[in-house]
Amino acid sequence: MKYNRINVLGLGNILFGDEGFGVEAIRAFEKEKEYPEMVQFVDGGTQGLYLLDYIESSDAVMVFDALIPLDFESRVYVYHKDELPAFIHRKMSSHQMGLSELLGIAQLHGRMPERFVLIGIPPRSLDLGSGLSGEARELLDEAVGEGKAILQGWLGE
Amino acid sequence: MAKKIVVDPIPRIEGHLRIEAKVNDNNIIEEAYSSGTMWRGIEVILRGRDPRDAWAFAERICGVCTTVHALASVRCVEDALGIEVPTNARIIRNLMNATQQTQDHLVHFYHLHALDWVDVVSALKADPKMTSDIAQSISSWPKSSVGYFKDLQQRLIGFVESGQLGIFSNGYWGHPAYKLPPEVNLIGVAHYLEALDFQKEIVKIHTIFGGKNPHPNYLVGGMACAIDPNSDTAINIERLAMVKKIIDQTQQFIDQVYIPDLIAIAGFYKEWLYGGGLGNYLSYGDFPETSLDDFKTLLWPRGAILGKDLTTVHDVDPRDAAHVTEEVSHSWYTYSKGDDKGLHPWEGETKPAYSGPKPPFEHLDTDKKYSWLKTPRWKNHPMEVGPLARVLIAYAKGDPMIKDTVGLVLSRLQVGPEALFSTLGRTAARGIECKQTAGFMRHFYDQLVDNIKKGDYRTFNSDRWDPSTWPADCKGFGYSEAPRGSLGHWIHIQEQKIKEYQIVVPSTWNASPRDAKGNSGAYEAALKGTPMANPEQPLEIIRTVHSFDPCLACASHVFDMNGQEVTSVRIV
Repeated sequence: MKYNRINVLGLGNILFGDEGFGVEAIRAFEKEKEYPEMVQFVDGGTQGLYLLDYIESSDAVMVFDALIPLDFESRVYVYHKDELPAFIHRKMSSHQMGLSELLGIAQLHGRMPERFVLIGIPPRSLDLGSGLSGEARELLDEAVGEGKAILQGWLGE
Repeated sequence: MAKKIVVDPIPRIEGHLRIEAKVNDNNIIEEAYSSGTMWRGIEVILRGRDPRDAWAFAERICGVCTTVHALASVRCVEDALGIEVPTNARIIRNLMNATQQTQDHLVHFYHLHALDWVDVVSALKADPKMTSDIAQSISSWPKSSVGYFKDLQQRLIGFVESGQLGIFSNGYWGHPAYKLPPEVNLIGVAHYLEALDFQKEIVKIHTIFGGKNPHPNYLVGGMACAIDPNSDTAINIERLAMVKKIIDQTQQFIDQVYIPDLIAIAGFYKEWLYGGGLGNYLSYGDFPETSLDDFKTLLWPRGAILGKDLTTVHDVDPRDAAHVTEEVSHSWYTYSKGDDKGLHPWEGETKPAYSGPKPPFEHLDTDKKYSWLKTPRWKNHPMEVGPLARVLIAYAKGDPMIKDTVGLVLSRLQVGPEALFSTLGRTAARGIECKQTAGFMRHFYDQLVDNIKKGDYRTFNSDRWDPSTWPADCKGFGYSEAPRGSLGHWIHIQEQKIKEYQIVVPSTWNASPRDAKGNSGAYEAALKGTPMANPEQPLEIIRTVHSFDPCLACASHVFDMNGQEVTSVRIV
């Protein structure tokens, strides 16, 4: 196998409805099957900077997160490495290191993983404590399915 | 090649802090209002729980200043129950706290604040040879060759050309308030990246003593780590050697990178002496050499300064109801005896009562209640807390180490101590303090090794672990100097459960709204009088608010005196 380390990260806050989509997705992903040892599932929660090492230290990274695409349709979005904008936003607080900053920094460090993919859905509800919305729950299996297919591909390379 | 797809991940947390500023015709800020737009509520969650568990909840208030709430929490419970922790536990807590402060200051300077002074786009124009010459003239840090800066600049250029830094149009690059030459900007960018790598080493100390980071483990009565030089599973010689190595690297990075950068950058902004604000400073003190009650032994001294008068340091007693109070005349809470009556935290109440406009709204009615933050006051004075407060109080008290470091920085910049009362002074104080706390790391490491050599392996005092040994009714106060300033936890324990818990965090002191008498909080006062080059790009506001290291996300709104919105900037 080509990759020594594959990280599957779920990002988000499970207390705010669909904001927790990423975390719910990796829970569903890892529940069903045993994966080879080099595949790690990481509940990244709302951590920012601390996640940099999980991106820079692996050969292939898959991230699940709630996201806001331009067209905002209710569907699963899959973005590969070259389709992602990497930002360094102006920050008020170190709470706020988001995924785009981490990718920007990994690039400037020259340590982007060889493969990177972001899988997500636009959130419908961000209410406190409500769990995933019906729409998000319906898209969860599809998103996880996309992830499994990509992971299978990586493991086969 | 320009990228067409935009993905905007949901910001992890947003909109906790909102600044509304009114500017006059000359673009000078006449009034500023600071509003916390989200409620914390952890005090309510803690009611009725076992006080020995409180630290684990309180620590989750923040994932950045992790550790500080756990420390203040175990200290307040131990104070209430009359528990003295073993010497090793005191030292390990001090070492972890010094580690936290050092790491936090580094991250703040390079990753949150530097881009308010360093223009990334300008670095593209730097001459690598000149950059290398400047870097070598200010420091012996080895990563300073022409090739090193050339490589970095190439990566940066590639990055910008790929179109991925569309963000640079989002930032204020090229703003007239940026004053650094391209070469110094390139050094700033290089060290931004190096500091990111480095800061993750420092916090390994938390994982060694606290099991993990963020949110390391604490314990009422001591620390939850065993010491045994001959065991593989305890704090042993190998782990202590790792701690020592990290401390060596930390001191080197601060002395050879942080302090020289601070002086080099500040040297170009010496005329930008805005943002001083209140001139009142408060510190509870921290880093006890003996018991916490013996506050004369605190390495960061306790005290208060009023009206920039460094000749008098006032005594501070956070247990005294006349000293520390919180009122809610401009906050979305109600008090049973009147919102304008300051309550000491032991008598504190947490009854939320939102009366602001229904979101989305254009602006807040700042004559009424306008914040989720309460209004803490010391003897009715609004106070600034944080590195500048601690450094000034230690300086005014004649602490020899601080006098040396402050003297060094001021003399290199060729400015007097009055320059400290400014935004830049706050930023400089954080660097001065970082050098000091890195020294504390070494000091406490040496203390720990000495104590272990004496054969003392004890980290936990179990005498009062069993609730049947507790008094039926007791109160406690726990404090800590967090990176952002004075932190206090006040607890009331009744029949072995938490009856009431109150937390006054540093950012509440600094970001507080006006009090009943109309006195501004620290952010509000600091922004007043600042000229803005372009109100549509409020770099000056961001610079000053950043200099306090706010533990809040922020939105900034600039209005003209007629209440018309000039700009609305969401800083996410």
